[in-house]
Amino acid sequence: MADALERITNLVALLLETRAPLTLEQIANELRGQYPPGEAALRGAFERDKAMLREIGVPIDSEVLAGSDAGKTAYRIDRRRYELAELELADDERRALQMAVAAARLSDGDFGLLKLGADGGASSIVVANVPDDPALPALREAAAQHAEVAFGYRGRARRLQPYAVLLRDGTWYVIGHDVEYDAVRTYRVDRIEDGVTVGDDATFERPADFDVRSVFPTDPKLLGDEPASRAVVRVDAPRAAWVVAAMGEGAVQHTHADGGVEVEVPCANIDAFRSWLFGLGEHAEVVSPPEVRAAVVAWLREMVGAR
Amino acid sequence: MIARRGPRPTAERLRRLLVMLPWLMERGEVPVAEMAERFGLTEAQLVSDIELVSMCGLPPYLDELIDVWIDDGVVSTGIPRVFTKPLRLTAPEGFALLAAARVALQLPGAEPDGALARALEKLAAALGDVVVVDQPQPPATADITDAAERGARLRVTYWSATADGASERVITPRRVFLDRGRWYVIADDHRSGQERTFRVDRIEQWAPTGEVDPPRAVAAPTADEWFLDDDLRTARLELPAAAGWVVERYPVRTVEQRGERLVVELAVTDERWLRELLLRLGSGATVLAPDEWRHLGAEAAAGLLARYEGAGSDAS
Repeated sequence: MADALERITNLVALLLETRAPLTLEQIANELRGQYPPGEAALRGAFERDKAMLREIGVPIDSEVLAGSDAGKTAYRIDRRRYELAELELADDERRALQMAVAAARLSDGDFGLLKLGADGGASSIVVANVPDDPALPALREAAAQHAEVAFGYRGRARRLQPYAVLLRDGTWYVIGHDVEYDAVRTYRVDRIEDGVTVGDDATFERPADFDVRSVFPTDPKLLGDEPASRAVVRVDAPRAAWVVAAMGEGAVQHTHADGGVEVEVPCANIDAFRSWLFGLGEHAEVVSPPEVRAAVVAWLREMVGAR
Repeated sequence: MIARRGPRPTAERLRRLLVMLPWLMERGEVPVAEMAERFGLTEAQLVSDIELVSMCGLPPYLDELIDVWIDDGVVSTGIPRVFTKPLRLTAPEGFALLAAARVALQLPGAEPDGALARALEKLAAALGDVVVVDQPQPPATADITDAAERGARLRVTYWSATADGASERVITPRRVFLDRGRWYVIADDHRSGQERTFRVDRIEQWAPTGEVDPPRAVAAPTADEWFLDDDLRTARLELPAAAGWVVERYPVRTVEQRGERLVVELAVTDERWLRELLLRLGSGATVLAPDEWRHLGAEAAAGLLARYEGAGSDAS
């Protein structure tokens, strides 16, 4: 019996070159002696081969035959779907992609480069650790193909018509039209539970005027279901310059003689707000509104009490 | 690419063959060494794959075989057959290329109309343009990167969380990297005489000193090894399930599920950082070890609470 790699290579060649789709019997007959004898062993080996081809991205078409072979499944590989589309990259464009992959270090980038005729192994002074998530390729492809996706999120099943995936502040989000809520929603990709199921292509239209950046809250402290609210925070002199640089002069309500500032900060998402506030250590204090100040005090008292 | 030794799974070999063969058929002949290096194989691995493929083709496997052979250290191909074009990009490869290009376009020094932008346009036209990257840079990033490329020394004012104050130092930036949405620079720190990692958003002022140091290669840490330095201390924390974001946000050494709660072992760069983390986690989180940090959260909360309840506050 032939080496598994030899058999699968022959299988791909056969299915690429065949004019008509082939049934498993026909395939076994053409690849004589390469599959194990016996119906069950043949079927098992062929299913494993198909699974491997799917894993590396070889598209296999199957159809159920009519006529004398009615009910049997026949297979072929459509060359137009198998082959890489010609991108016509210029040399400098290929080099630029090489540098991009070297900088972003996403695990499948190097192999993608090889297919495009570029080389892996470039190196870059600037490196970005871009989080990789197994759900991202499927979500991206679904958004590009206008295919609906289903996934679990915080214990609930969601159905989303994905418009785009967005990387912001080191986190990937998928943004789209949530079918049940009938509204545009944003989900964190790393919080998706149990993988993504992708539906049929071309089942929705992305609104022509859709713009991710305008839909997504510009500040994580604004992410949340509550109506936007704002708090005034006093920041002491040592961190004042940093806070003003990050938030802009427009956020400054008042500057104290000692160099401290009072800034207005969105606090609709109380978790994000607390993270930001406590990141300033003892150099920040909520001034108003009273309920936000009280919430911070209650949070701290509970911590002291838990000792 | 770097060649790995040892047995290779069939899927991995096939995946590579379907790219290698069209590449070879376009060129006609290539030295074994060059081809092996390009495709991340040892020469022996390449030779065994080529020999195997030379027996493959179309039934009845007599004259319609893949026309490849090795002679005198050169891989050659005759009539291009069957595998004339590479396999299309898989979903993960397509995603990786688009995301890498989008990220790189936002890195310091990227030209919005340069070769990368043109490459991205072609990729997006073929694969669909649905990846958006929004990665703001702190003001110092571009100048720091430029200095790293030239080995230029900078005098910087740096806010240190550990010292809770700004200090002035002279550094030679070596490598700039982005991790979990934050920019860092690995630099030679001329005050301590050691290599140090600084947060770019905490560099408040910077100016070249005019001196230039010879180049020195510095590896940038990957997301997994970042903060996993063995010299770092660790803390064991018990967290409510809702604080699972800690695991996503910071590299943890171990995670253990205890009913509804998580026990994580976390690398701690400095005590101040842990204090801030505990404040964010609130009363639901407990430090299990080491002993000296058991009360760190409560102490931090008490210190901050004094500010709210004490005379120090001028809030009405």
